[in-house]
Amino acid sequence: MPPNLEALPKGYEFPPTPLDLSSEWVQGYVLAVEDEAIGGLSEGLVPAMAVAALALRAILDSAKLPPGAIHLGQELAFLRPVHVGERLWARALVASRGERQGWILMGIDLNVGDESARPAMTGRAMVTMPCPEPQPETWKR
Amino acid sequence: MTEQDVRGTVLLPGSELAPVVKELTQEKISHYAGASGDHNPLHTDAEFAARTQFGGVIAHGMLILAYLSEMMTAAFGQAWLSGGTLKIRFRAPARPGDTVAASGHVLEAEGGRTVCAVECRNQRGETLATGEAAVATRGAR
Repeated sequence: MPPNLEALPKGYEFPPTPLDLSSEWVQGYVLAVEDEAIGGLSEGLVPAMAVAALALRAILDSAKLPPGAIHLGQELAFLRPVHVGERLWARALVASRGERQGWILMGIDLNVGDESARPAMTGRAMVTMPCPEPQPETWKR
Repeated sequence: MTEQDVRGTVLLPGSELAPVVKELTQEKISHYAGASGDHNPLHTDAEFAARTQFGGVIAHGMLILAYLSEMMTAAFGQAWLSGGTLKIRFRAPARPGDTVAASGHVLEAEGGRTVCAVECRNQRGETLATGEAAVATRGAR
């Protein structure tokens, strides 16, 4: 059972997750976002945001996103072209976490690279989510 | 030294990037949910989404970023994939039925680097996302 995202402390490291950029998946992504520009480049290149989308999916697969979570902002740096068929690894950690007025604000750092640790993309996702409802205190005599 | 886009057009501060315009539908949002693996019901379940602060289904932030990334790919080609950076703040949600226009203009173009202000707006002129995108560009004498 994956942990709840809102419960993760600053410094929590998500388990490294493989990202398989299969031809079938990339084609499905390109169709879904209607990307008409990537086809104009050399054959076999993956849209930059496809790598970011897969990396975020890796986080969603390893931590339960609470209802009401909102994606506030995103920073990304694309470090090298990625090709169809590559296998990359996503690593992520909770870089910042704060609470204010019933909301948690969390910054999650993303690092994507290949098996030889050659980086392909880095980034940070800023998300906010409601603080969990406080549990009623157990009545004590 | 001047900077150029992928077609060899000289980039100067104020130069407009060719916009990318997309019609958002629930079908497209659901298609993106399938491709990205982000099945948050806020994006796919009208009944659930109606009970949230958004009052209805909204598109994934990463789908909106894909439109910005397509614009940058069209303008800068492979340079975007191998040295592009994006820093975005989401301002308002995009919804099914919206026409989303990704646009941008050059803020700085010197020293082998081009910095652009980028944004997405809907058909009512509401700002959905704003930020900066930068890319290493080849200089030409």
